Amino acid sequence: MKKSLIAIALALLWSTAWSAPREYQVHVDGLACPFCAYGIEKSFSKQAGVKEVETDIQAGLVRVVMEEDASLSEEQARKAVKAAGFSLRSFNETVEGN
Amino acid sequence: MRQRKRPLKFLALATVVGLVALLAGYGAWFPSAQEPAYVFVDAWGEPGTGPGQFRDPTGIAVTDNEVFVSDARNARIQVFDHDGRFLRQFGAPGEGLGQLGRPMNLTISNDELYVADYWNDRIQVFSLEGKPLRTIGRSGQGPGELNAPGGVAVATNGDLYVVDFYNQRIQHLDPEGRFIEQWGTTGEVGIWAGEFNYPTDVALATDGTLYVADGYNDRVQVISAQGKFLHKWGGPFAMNIFGPFKGWFATTTSIAFGPQGSVFVSDFYNHRVQKFAPDGTFLSAFGEEGTGPGQFNYAIAAAVAPDGSVFVVDFGNHRIQKWRPHDSE
Repeated sequence: MKKSLIAIALALLWSTAWSAPREYQVHVDGLACPFCAYGIEKSFSKQAGVKEVETDIQAGLVRVVMEEDASLSEEQARKAVKAAGFSLRSFNETVEGN
Repeated sequence: MRQRKRPLKFLALATVVGLVALLAGYGAWFPSAQEPAYVFVDAWGEPGTGPGQFRDPTGIAVTDNEVFVSDARNARIQVFDHDGRFLRQFGAPGEGLGQLGRPMNLTISNDELYVADYWNDRIQVFSLEGKPLRTIGRSGQGPGELNAPGGVAVATNGDLYVVDFYNQRIQHLDPEGRFIEQWGTTGEVGIWAGEFNYPTDVALATDGTLYVADGYNDRVQVISAQGKFLHKWGGPFAMNIFGPFKGWFATTTSIAFGPQGSVFVSDFYNHRVQKFAPDGTFLSAFGEEGTGPGQFNYAIAAAVAPDGSVFVVDFGNHRIQKWRPHDSE
């Protein structure tokens, strides 16, 4: 019985982690003007599978949350940033809720 | 667009430019104020989503008794009286009629509010009460198409002059949105006369002369009613040299006329508003960086009421500030 409960708990944990949407943090150089920030948000929102984009203008940080099972490559991020007139400084994947 | 936080590079550039300026004529590039400074009156707003709160205020327009503010991340327009009392709001996130995606600079013409609907690549027109009336423009790079409009001016015949931010141009459209002409080369940044570097806003003088806030060229460009380039100002040679000095800019994000025809320019990274004569003569400036009364955390837009009061959008402090001319009560 104890083993069964542990197995169920592990399965639940695995399924939660598996279904959590992927989230990315994209650092952009020189980002402080809202015209630019909204341009970047608009550019990312055109990428397939993007669920939510929000920019921290002061920090120069773009947070991109994907739809379930969707992902974003660094190259896609670089192109989106370039299309908005900027250069990508760094690209990191996190998991929403972590 | 370029990095703004490189103090050493800036200082080096400023030093070189300063030395050249001394040789060329100090007064031309470092003008002194021709008028007394403006006086801070009041401020209202704080971060949030409720009435009177803002998430990225970006644009402003005024009538003789009301103030309209683009509340960009809240996807709405908020309306106040001249003392900052909340009156009403309209707009919601989305792409439908009456919905907004990052509203930017505003214009009022013929008792209608024109909103640069940045994400939706269109100009959206509302009644002053907030009823959505029509949209103009669609996404693209072709004639009459827009890629992130930042501002708009409206002629007495209803023609529109739209700042097409990512297309690097100003488009002249008829009231139905049909293309008439453009200034700037589509999609190409330029620093010479008649070229643009992420233009942000436009204002139309009573004689039909067009004034453009040429954002990342750190200047104002002026185009005649006949469509010819007239003059430009902002730093040495007005060609993408930014700085904190009087008459210089560090990204122009809005442009508006006062009741006497003076030109008010929002000087975003310098945290101030500058006032000029129509020929570009520097008159005065007000504001400095900070969070206190009369200080700005990026002055992104300004509008002038018929009584001369200036309402400024204090972007980073999520508030609106009211200023008055020094000699008014």
